[in-house]
Amino acid sequence: MSLLEVTNLHATVGAQDQQKAILKGLNISVNLGEVHAIMGPNGSGKSTLANVLSGRPGYTVTDGSMTLADEDLAELEPHERAQLGLFLAFQYPVEIPGVSNMEFLKASVDSLARARGQEQPNTAAFIKQVRLLAASVDLDPQFLKRGVNEGFSGGEKKRNEIMQLLLLEPKLAILDETDSGLDIDALQVVAEGVNRYKNENNGVVLITHYQRLLDYIVPDFVHVLADGKIVQSGDKSLALELEDKGYAWLT
Amino acid sequence: MADLSLPQVVTIPNYFSQGLLALPAELADSNDAPSLLTAALNSTLHRERWKYSKTAPVLEGLNNAMNLPTIVGGEQPGIQINHEPQQNLGFGFDLSQAPEAFARLCYAQQVLFIHVENALEAPLEIHHSDSTVPVLLSLGANADAILLETFTGNLQPQNTLWISLAEGSHLKHSRNSLDEAKLHWQYLAVDIGKNADYLLNNHAAGAGLRRQDIQIRISGQGANAELISASMISGKMALDQQVTLEHLVANGKSKQVVHNIVADGGKCTFNGRIHIYEGANGTDATLSNKNLGLGKNATINTKPELEIYTDDVTCAHGATIGQLSDQELFYLTSRGISPQAAQALLSEGFLRQCTQGPLAEAALPILINAIKQEQVA
Repeated sequence: MSLLEVTNLHATVGAQDQQKAILKGLNISVNLGEVHAIMGPNGSGKSTLANVLSGRPGYTVTDGSMTLADEDLAELEPHERAQLGLFLAFQYPVEIPGVSNMEFLKASVDSLARARGQEQPNTAAFIKQVRLLAASVDLDPQFLKRGVNEGFSGGEKKRNEIMQLLLLEPKLAILDETDSGLDIDALQVVAEGVNRYKNENNGVVLITHYQRLLDYIVPDFVHVLADGKIVQSGDKSLALELEDKGYAWLT
Repeated sequence: MADLSLPQVVTIPNYFSQGLLALPAELADSNDAPSLLTAALNSTLHRERWKYSKTAPVLEGLNNAMNLPTIVGGEQPGIQINHEPQQNLGFGFDLSQAPEAFARLCYAQQVLFIHVENALEAPLEIHHSDSTVPVLLSLGANADAILLETFTGNLQPQNTLWISLAEGSHLKHSRNSLDEAKLHWQYLAVDIGKNADYLLNNHAAGAGLRRQDIQIRISGQGANAELISASMISGKMALDQQVTLEHLVANGKSKQVVHNIVADGGKCTFNGRIHIYEGANGTDATLSNKNLGLGKNATINTKPELEIYTDDVTCAHGATIGQLSDQELFYLTSRGISPQAAQALLSEGFLRQCTQGPLAEAALPILINAIKQEQVA
C-alpha cells in the first residue's frame, strides 16, 4: 500500500521576490515496509525535499502534489504533518536551552496522542520508557534533564534524533543525512535504531551522501537526485555503482 | 527639564556623627547636605540613569510612611537586629550614584540593622509589604547566610536595602517581586569585601512601573558577585533595571545574566554598567542581557556599558533583542507540538535559564502564567 506519494513536485526556496527553484518535477512513491535511499550531488535538492515534505517555513510548493496516507501534505502545518505520522530526523538538530529533553518529549508525545484521540501516557511509565530508549541508543539518561540538544556533541544529537524516532513511532521517517559527522560506532548505533524502528507498517526515506550507511540499513530502492529530479532509480547495487563511478555519468 | 528636588529637607541621622556609619565622601567635608543632594539629583549621570523612569513620583514618595518588614529567621543564633548601629559595619554610601536612596535613609524614623555574625542554620527572610523602612544587612567575617526577600503591595511602595559583606563571607540572596504595584522602587546596594561571595537570584513580574536599582561594589580583592535575573513584563506594564557593577580592586569576578520577556504593549529597560577602576587588575567581568519581545508592540531598551581603566582584565558583555527563533519553533512543531504550545515552551525555557535558587519554585508558575495570559490575550 502506498504511504508517501510525491508527484511532479516543484518547490522553491527564499523570500517571495527572490525565489530559487530547487525541486523541478520530482516523483517518488514509498510503500509500507519499504526503505528508500536518496543520494545525489551537493545542491541537488535532497535536503530541500526533506524540508518541503516536513513543512519547514521558507519553502514554497509551486506545482505537483505530495500525500502521506492519502492526505495532502501541502495543506497541513508542520505540527499537523507530524500528527499525521511524518517524522524528520534533522541534519542539524536544534539546541534549545531551558527546555529539558524530557519536557520536550512529553509535550511531543502528549500532542500526538491528543491529536489522534489517544490517551496521554502516564508520566512515570513515560519517563521509564524514555530512559530505556535513551540507553538503547547509547545516550546517557542524564542528557534527558539537560536542555534539548544543549551542549550535545554531533553524534549525541543524531542519537537523540533516533531516540525520538523510536519513541514517536511515525508512519514515515525521513532521515536527512543522519550519518554525516558520525564515527563508525555511532553510525552502527543509529543504523541499529532505524532497523529496530522499521516494520511492515511504516516507511523510511534515507537521505545520504555515502554508501557506507547502506551497508547497515539495507534499502529496497536507491534513487539519484540531480538538479531537482530523480534521474536514476535502482536497487542497492546502484549505491555501490555510485560509490565506484561518482555521479558524473548520470548528470 | 525641570530641576529635581527632594520632598523635605534632609537631616543627617545621629549615628553618622557618632562614627558608626561612614558619611558619603561628598558630605564628609561639607555640612550643606541639601545642596549637595540637589546637585547630585540633577547631575548628568543621575539624569541618564533615570531617563526611562519618571523620577518625580519616586522622589515625592521618599518620605511617605514606612512600615517594618516581616523578618523570619531573625531569632536564630548569630543574628542581631537593632534600630541603631552597634558598631561600624563597613557600609558605604555613594551620594553621586544614589542621592535619593541616601535621602530616604535620612527621612526614615526607624532603620533596621541586621548583623549576621557567623554561619546561619536557616535562611533569613525579609517580607516587604508596601513601603518598608530601610534595611542595612551586614555579614561579619566568614559569615554565611541565605537571604530570601519577597514583596507584596499595590500602591507606590519603596524598599531600600544596603548589604555589607565582610572578608570571606557568603550571601545567597533570592528576591521575588511578583506583585502588581502601581509604582515600585527597589534600591539595593551591595558592598563585597575580600574573598567574599554574593549571589542575587532576581525574579520580577510586571508592575505599572517597577524600578530596580542594583549597585554592587567589589571592594575587596578576590570578591565574587553574580546576578541571575528573569522577568516577565506583561502588556501595559514596565520594568526599569539599572545595574551598576564596580570593580574597585584587583582579582574580582562578576557575572550577570539577565533574561527579560516583554509582552505586546509592555516596556522594559535594562542598563548594565560595569566599571573597572584603575588598578583592578585580573578582573573577570561578564554581562549578558537577552530580551524576548512577544507581539508587535513590545518596547525594549538595553544598554550594556563597560568602563575600563586598567589593562589586565577579562571582560565580555552583550545584549540581544529578539523574537522566538524560527528554527527552534520548527523543531518543536515538527514533533507534533502546536505552534502556540511551542511558543509557550520556548518562552518558559528562556526564563527558566535564569530562574534559580530557593525562590525559583515560587516564581516560575507566576512568570509562566503571565506568559500564558499574554497568549490568550
